[in-house]
Amino acid sequence: MRHSGSVLPVILVCGLVIAAGLPVASSETSGSAATTRSVARGRDGSLALIRIAKTPALRVQVLTRLQIDVRQELTTCLLAYADRNDIDLLRRNGVRFTVLDRDAARREFLVVGIAAPGALASLRAAGHAAAVEPSTAVFWTEEGSALEAVPAGLPRKAFPSRSVLPYVRMRPEPAPAPSVSVAQDPLVETIVSLVSSSNLAADVQMLQDFQTRYASTTNCEAAGEALFAAFSALGLDNVRFEQFTFSGSYTSRNVVAEKRGETYPGDVFIVCSHYDSTSPSRLTLAPGADDNASGTAAVLEAARVLAPYPLDYTVRFIAFSAEEWGLWGSRAYASLARLGGQPILGVINLDMIGYADAMPEDLQIIVNGNSTWLADLFLAAGAHYGVVGATKTVDQSFVYSDHSPFWDNGYPALLAIEDNPLTNPYYHRTTDTLDTLNIDFLTSATRASVGLLAELAQPIKAGYPRTPVGLYADLFVYRSLFNSLHTVRLHWTAQADATSYNIYRTNTPHLGYVKINPTPVTGTAFSDTNAGSDPTFSYAVTAVGPAGLESNRSRDAEWMTARLFRPATGPTSIGASSSVPSFGFPVLRGIR
Amino acid sequence: MKAGRLAAGLALFVVGLAAAAPAQELSVSFGAGGFFPSEGAYREIYGSSLSFAGDLWLKLKGPIGFAAGFGRTADKGVAEPMDGGTETYAVEFRRTSIPLVVFYQFEAGPVAIRLGAGAGIHSYRETWQTVDLDFRGHKTSPRIVLAVSAAVLKRVSLFCSGSFESIRTGESSFPDASINLGGFQMLGGLSFRVF
Repeated sequence: MRHSGSVLPVILVCGLVIAAGLPVASSETSGSAATTRSVARGRDGSLALIRIAKTPALRVQVLTRLQIDVRQELTTCLLAYADRNDIDLLRRNGVRFTVLDRDAARREFLVVGIAAPGALASLRAAGHAAAVEPSTAVFWTEEGSALEAVPAGLPRKAFPSRSVLPYVRMRPEPAPAPSVSVAQDPLVETIVSLVSSSNLAADVQMLQDFQTRYASTTNCEAAGEALFAAFSALGLDNVRFEQFTFSGSYTSRNVVAEKRGETYPGDVFIVCSHYDSTSPSRLTLAPGADDNASGTAAVLEAARVLAPYPLDYTVRFIAFSAEEWGLWGSRAYASLARLGGQPILGVINLDMIGYADAMPEDLQIIVNGNSTWLADLFLAAGAHYGVVGATKTVDQSFVYSDHSPFWDNGYPALLAIEDNPLTNPYYHRTTDTLDTLNIDFLTSATRASVGLLAELAQPIKAGYPRTPVGLYADLFVYRSLFNSLHTVRLHWTAQADATSYNIYRTNTPHLGYVKINPTPVTGTAFSDTNAGSDPTFSYAVTAVGPAGLESNRSRDAEWMTARLFRPATGPTSIGASSSVPSFGFPVLRGIR
Repeated sequence: MKAGRLAAGLALFVVGLAAAAPAQELSVSFGAGGFFPSEGAYREIYGSSLSFAGDLWLKLKGPIGFAAGFGRTADKGVAEPMDGGTETYAVEFRRTSIPLVVFYQFEAGPVAIRLGAGAGIHSYRETWQTVDLDFRGHKTSPRIVLAVSAAVLKRVSLFCSGSFESIRTGESSFPDASINLGGFQMLGGLSFRVF
């Protein structure tokens, strides 16, 4: 009997069982430390120009720690000065590099585009050239100016005056942008509609009439004065010349004007072009209608149509000089802007936007990895306002126009250009004249540019609440045993003409904002607990007035939290399936 | 699945042993008490928890026996704010356990003392009450237990037990940490002898 009684616990045990169902941390030196080193440090003759391959194993932190003087970032490599000590350190740290020249201290180096057939051969005939990428070479000469020796027609760029290492990002290609659309603001449409073909043609003709605008000539100086007068006539703020020295003993002047923002006067968007020109007869005849009276006319037209409208952000209109000599004007400007800590939020560089080899012509929008959002917005603006097709190209090696010095200084910038590679048969020739341009295409390109600029600078609409200011965010982390929640607490300054506020969030900086407050927010603070798995997220706030009209978006408050996330190792979930990030480092606090 | 297979294996092991050995006594105990976690983060978020358990004690001929049971620990707490957060997020933790132990029984008159060792199979879940955050896990851990019963009626005894487990989950929201869900559990209740 007792033995048979053991069956019961066996069943119970089985039932119970079924029921249960059951980074290389491194002492990163500040960027400024890297920039303080100069070519002069190695003038003992040991200085070399090296090419550092951008391999997956390369870490910018290593170069920063070693204080490597990187002067140019390209798509697949970095070009840097290095003395013997640097070379030893690089070798010891496993950095792959090749020496291009061992006597770099007394050289002037140029980055030159060699995509054109025979370009490398012609370059080697003129001096020393080392191909560092399929379409890019470094050029130098034993004696004299490399700038003067480089064959005409080849795009070129002088090295920046400081290390660009603080702005080098070894990150992979940016993720595809979300579907981007512009606001289709009637006021922006009105502004865009003011762009005039006849004005554009007249401005191109005006610049062409200087015969040449080669940067070292008095004609170029006169063209600069004409631009100064044109900006001044529009009633723009702070119209000025900014003089710079180039190629040793020459001087020239950038022409700068601005439309000061009323909400964020310190934050600047730039639309720029170069007004100098070149040709084989550059001292006497270089009409440069396409290159680059077209871009400069567009900048003038943008200034004209935007001048009457109050804007949230400051827009700066700049005509650079000495671009054809190696981007000297923009190089000086961007370098000073960085040294002065100017908050330049985005740069639109218009260079050769008037020639159409076939219609419909597309604009090429060239950006680096840090500026893709600008290109995405340009494409959207082009489709809506300019009715012009545009193609985005992320190409860190396309450094042959005035956007490049902005890249070198860490600013987002795009280049709008008619073709890449160029198809204009009159490029850098005495025949680059107005009659070869397609004014309809130039007008469309200008409208797209103005549309983007207006979207960025945000015209202030009468009768609408003012754009909120003072937005900042605190990030708080709350932890349980297995989950962490980061809550973004937003604060902003109350607007007298607002009855409520809307909060917008995106995980793609500057693009694709989505409203996240289900009901109007009547206070001046908001907590977002749903930013969960986004590695990067930005917020903006709008004010809503008594009549329900909604203001422009505030400047965004952005969190870059990717490096703070540490993926959870367990079957954690937010909602249905996504993994919960948990913070592995102290939380960053305080937003611009 | 791994935990489920392990549980099934252990259950079959117990079944096999029980079937092979003549049972001398079967009793069922029910108890309630406290769970005192060894993990500091657990204590900070949830404090000590209320536990309930029911166990089957199958004593074979001689002093050896097997025990299996069902335990549940649950508590509510508040997520720990880092860096000065002032908001409150309620969280709840529940753990269901199946202990499987082999015990040695001493008897002194109406008092029986059982000293056992074995394993606990645990299923646990942590839930945030106002935010859509949820975590589920399974773990098997070693377990030791000391149980004392004192007969007060023919088939009824007063019963108390203390057990200790170390349940290293390998998971944590804290960097470079592994939450240990184990600790010391004290229960008191009644035991009923079936035969």
